[in-house]
Amino acid sequence: MNQKNHGRGAEDLRHWCGLTLPPLLTLGIVVAGWQMLVDLLGLQPYILPGPVHVSEAIATNLDSLIRAVSLTAQAAIAGFLLSFVAGFFIAVLFSQSAWVERSLYPYAIFLQTVPIVAVAPLIVMWIGHGLGGIIAVSFIISLFPIIANTTAGLTSISPPLDDLFALHDASRWQRLWKLQVPHAVPDMLTGARISCGLSVIGAIVGEFFTGYGTTDFGLGYLIIQTNAMTKTPYLFACVLFSTGLGLLFFGVVSTLNRLILRRWAAAR
Amino acid sequence: MHSTRRLNHIALILLSLVALLSIACDGSKPEADRPVQLALNWFPEAEHGGYYAAQVHGDYSRSGVEIEILGGGPDAPVVKRVASGEVEFGLTNADGVITARAAGAPVVAVFAPYQINPRCIVVHEHSGIQQISDIENLTLALSQRPAFSHYLRHRYSFPGVTIVPYHGSVAPFVDDPAYAVQGYVFSEPVLARRLGATPRALLVAETGFNPYASVLITSEARLASEPQIVAAVVTAAQRGWIRYLEDSHRTNQHIHSLNPEMDVEILEIGAEMSRELVLVGEGMPITQIGDMSLDRWQLLIEQMEQAQIVKPGQVSAPTCFTTTYLPISGASGGGS
Repeated sequence: MNQKNHGRGAEDLRHWCGLTLPPLLTLGIVVAGWQMLVDLLGLQPYILPGPVHVSEAIATNLDSLIRAVSLTAQAAIAGFLLSFVAGFFIAVLFSQSAWVERSLYPYAIFLQTVPIVAVAPLIVMWIGHGLGGIIAVSFIISLFPIIANTTAGLTSISPPLDDLFALHDASRWQRLWKLQVPHAVPDMLTGARISCGLSVIGAIVGEFFTGYGTTDFGLGYLIIQTNAMTKTPYLFACVLFSTGLGLLFFGVVSTLNRLILRRWAAAR
Repeated sequence: MHSTRRLNHIALILLSLVALLSIACDGSKPEADRPVQLALNWFPEAEHGGYYAAQVHGDYSRSGVEIEILGGGPDAPVVKRVASGEVEFGLTNADGVITARAAGAPVVAVFAPYQINPRCIVVHEHSGIQQISDIENLTLALSQRPAFSHYLRHRYSFPGVTIVPYHGSVAPFVDDPAYAVQGYVFSEPVLARRLGATPRALLVAETGFNPYASVLITSEARLASEPQIVAAVVTAAQRGWIRYLEDSHRTNQHIHSLNPEMDVEILEIGAEMSRELVLVGEGMPITQIGDMSLDRWQLLIEQMEQAQIVKPGQVSAPTCFTTTYLPISGASGGGS
């Protein structure tokens, strides 16, 4: 019994090392390389700051950065969840009628390609400035991958499975919930992994156009301000925080992905 | 046969010498004009009028430089390009020089046409608001890019005011009676009036925050290595502003061709209103256009320190500017 537990512990440790050490080592190499590049080329901090200057900027402005990233995170999470739910239902609709899919799919594509600067005035008109408008932009940017992937998953059923359900006189409803949706889960999760990063971008871009009220500001606001005032190390700090937020989201969704699919693979 | 061949050789040599000499002595100019670039901080508009007037009327050429004026826009990286030496000159406002120097970018102001900053807050006439300190209970479109917006937010409490981003359009202002928008005194109010609104422009300078505007900047390195180029451009720029304030028509047509969004009529209004802002009510002799004072730079730094835009002690006023290149100071050489 004891031997088994020890073996388990060592295996877990190795697993975690395998997960965390490679990216950490790469990070170390990248940071060192970045500092070397700045030194070699003699780059001034206002053009391209090195890791030292950026760390100083993070330390000096930590309160503002944390407040900003938490506001951006709120908007991104809300936008992502909304896009996941809405995207799922739209994909179900598409899966049930080829006619509906053909009619409405171009509008889904439109959502993906429309420049936010063009829709921002409309969003401001309907929803107003502040968190609502920013969530709306994050939602729009995150939506398409969910629709595209979920639709693909719902409609790419192999014929033998289809036949099996037809043989048993399955209703449309039964076919949807017992065949199509379970089949689409891996694709939905792929869509989620793409959209979670986009939702962060959407929250930042949303802020450029719909903005916050007088006292609250997120990363988008800070990025514009620090860029305009030549506060380049601070700008880089904002960029790092937004990247970090995206990575965090991706990590969470990937972990959920693994947990759900592990049960899935086991059931199969 | 032999002698003809010899004559041919001599003729060939003589012709080559003549060709070489004519290439060496190229027409009227002993040397070509020095090419320089000037990076604007926005799309070409009336606030750049004097710099374009000098180009249109050949003042830069007469000073021995061939200028290329590069249009800008939102987030144009003027300071970075000038500080790194990528372009020789740029335009920014005085607060831009201070934030640049605070960030370690060695730019210096050499010429400042606008003694009164054209920044304003545009309110509706019917709001009854007479000064910026009275602004309350409305939506205010203010960009977080320039220093003046942070100064105003630091100085005034603006009760009941929701601040939203400004994107260059006055349409939201015209549509909403409880709205105010930032602007330049000869742009946004004029555009709003055209759309049927009755705007009132409240000059930011009246709050005491009055950075020089459309300031010509160059790098410290350029001042050290090529002072004659700086003198040439400053001399030409002053001439250009004198021309623009007298008769802007030809220049405005040129600006309109570069920026079709600005029609000639609105540029004329801009030139007309700029007279007051540059000459300060005819109180300043035209030979002094572009002048700057240490007191004003000092005050601006203090105001920006109070508003926490820069940290105390980061920037010292004397390093921000120099008036050595203004024609009145006599340091620059003569010239037509």
